[in-house]
Amino acid sequence: MLKSILYKEWIKIRLVVWIALGLGLLALINIFLKVRHDIMFVDAANYWYSFLFRGFTYFSILKFLPFVIGLAVAIAQYFPETVNKRIKLTFHLPVSENGILIKMHAFGAVMLLAIFVVILGLFTAGSAIFFPSNIIRASLLTMLPWFLAGMATYFMVALILLEPMWIFRGLYAAAAAGFVTIFFTGASIGAFRPVLLPLTLITLVLSCVVLFSGYRFRKGEM
Amino acid sequence: MYAIECKNLTHYYGKKLVYENLSFNVEEGKILGLLGKNGTGKSTTINILNGFLQPFSGECLIYGENTQTLSPDTKRRIGFLIEGHIQYSFMNIHQIEKFYSGFYPDWNSAPYWELMSKLKVTPTQKISTMSCGQRSQVALGLILAQDPDLLILDDFSMGLDPGYRRLFIDYMREYAKAEHKTVFVTSHIIQDMERLIDDVMIMDYNKILAQQPVDQFMNTFRQFNITLTSPEQEVDLDGIAVNIEKVKDKVEFYTYSTEDEVKNYLTSKGIAYNSFEEKKMSLEDAFIGLTRKY
Repeated sequence: MLKSILYKEWIKIRLVVWIALGLGLLALINIFLKVRHDIMFVDAANYWYSFLFRGFTYFSILKFLPFVIGLAVAIAQYFPETVNKRIKLTFHLPVSENGILIKMHAFGAVMLLAIFVVILGLFTAGSAIFFPSNIIRASLLTMLPWFLAGMATYFMVALILLEPMWIFRGLYAAAAAGFVTIFFTGASIGAFRPVLLPLTLITLVLSCVVLFSGYRFRKGEM
Repeated sequence: MYAIECKNLTHYYGKKLVYENLSFNVEEGKILGLLGKNGTGKSTTINILNGFLQPFSGECLIYGENTQTLSPDTKRRIGFLIEGHIQYSFMNIHQIEKFYSGFYPDWNSAPYWELMSKLKVTPTQKISTMSCGQRSQVALGLILAQDPDLLILDDFSMGLDPGYRRLFIDYMREYAKAEHKTVFVTSHIIQDMERLIDDVMIMDYNKILAQQPVDQFMNTFRQFNITLTSPEQEVDLDGIAVNIEKVKDKVEFYTYSTEDEVKNYLTSKGIAYNSFEEKKMSLEDAFIGLTRKY
């Protein structure tokens, strides 16, 4: 049964996954071509200096990419379930309703995480060619909130899409917009370091909220 | 033994009462057709049966389990056709068969592929690009492959042309009778139901008007047409008729009384008529006669 559930979810999101990886790869190629170009024309020490002391982020092109990917994966996975209330088919399968929702959601989250790990892994490998480890570490710390925003977006959009009432959808969307915006405020390198743990914990809590929409759907809210 | 037992169902949407203390049962091995005009609670009942709606009070049991908390084993025994033959339209016929087969240990793909072989679709064609008739065959094939004990078919005729409707009904009737399946079905096209169902349940706003074997209903519920001697004559048939329509001197009424009982009643009320005729009805005529046209 798990195999069947994962099979269906993969059919829904596979195109988005490949596109997301392609976009990530293109963004990374863009970043490192630019870095290589700038280091050739400025010199490495000056380039590093502008990163460490002037807040120059050579990877800013990645800022909204995780958000867009999280949004796209959530829509690809949950929108087809909401069209014609197709989620009824899923809840009618001979498994626990919460159980199947958790498995679907976990699959989407793991796929999203996998995309992010690949992008961050390639970013780290590419950065290692041009930068010392402390710059790479600071870069990753700066980017981490953006990728957390991608996860949070995925969880919140799933909650919104499965919610049966438009008024609740609106409220959730407003809350989601307010929360996700937090991840993009502040420009200085590593500024989010003190709040990374609480933001991560809140994002983890958000991973479960989709069950509430599922419950409301099953109780016939409309 | 009942496959479905609904007891004292009461439901409201906001302050609007859908029905109050509605009770009905569906015997195992029977095909029951739920008929009712729009807004009488057919979809509400289907949603309660499938656990997608919690009634205000009362309960429905399927094979003895409350429909709000059906176990996976009981859900495995129920085949569900959503109104409009909704399926996972982002899949093709191979993908969807592979997907569902993983949930049902007794999955039998032979009837599914038999139906699919009749469709002019390519193996990789997504269900979303199929016609409504083709989609109905996919949905039907999946139900047959699941081989459930109880089939809940919500408005199966929606969007189907006459050929596909007939195909669906004939397949379903033959399958249900041969395999002793229980079927709970709703449809807007009542003439289709006549070929399919054993028992009929007719709902009106807030109540059930009739629940009995369809043959018994058709034998006991009658339509009479009379032509009055004078168009101005008052016609009071409240004692026998469930529905009456009078246009000038023509009176059309529906009743559970026999011809003799009706004639005696007309005489006792002093209603004079020139002609008296019992009109043969289809199930659709009887449905309209019972629920009225408006």
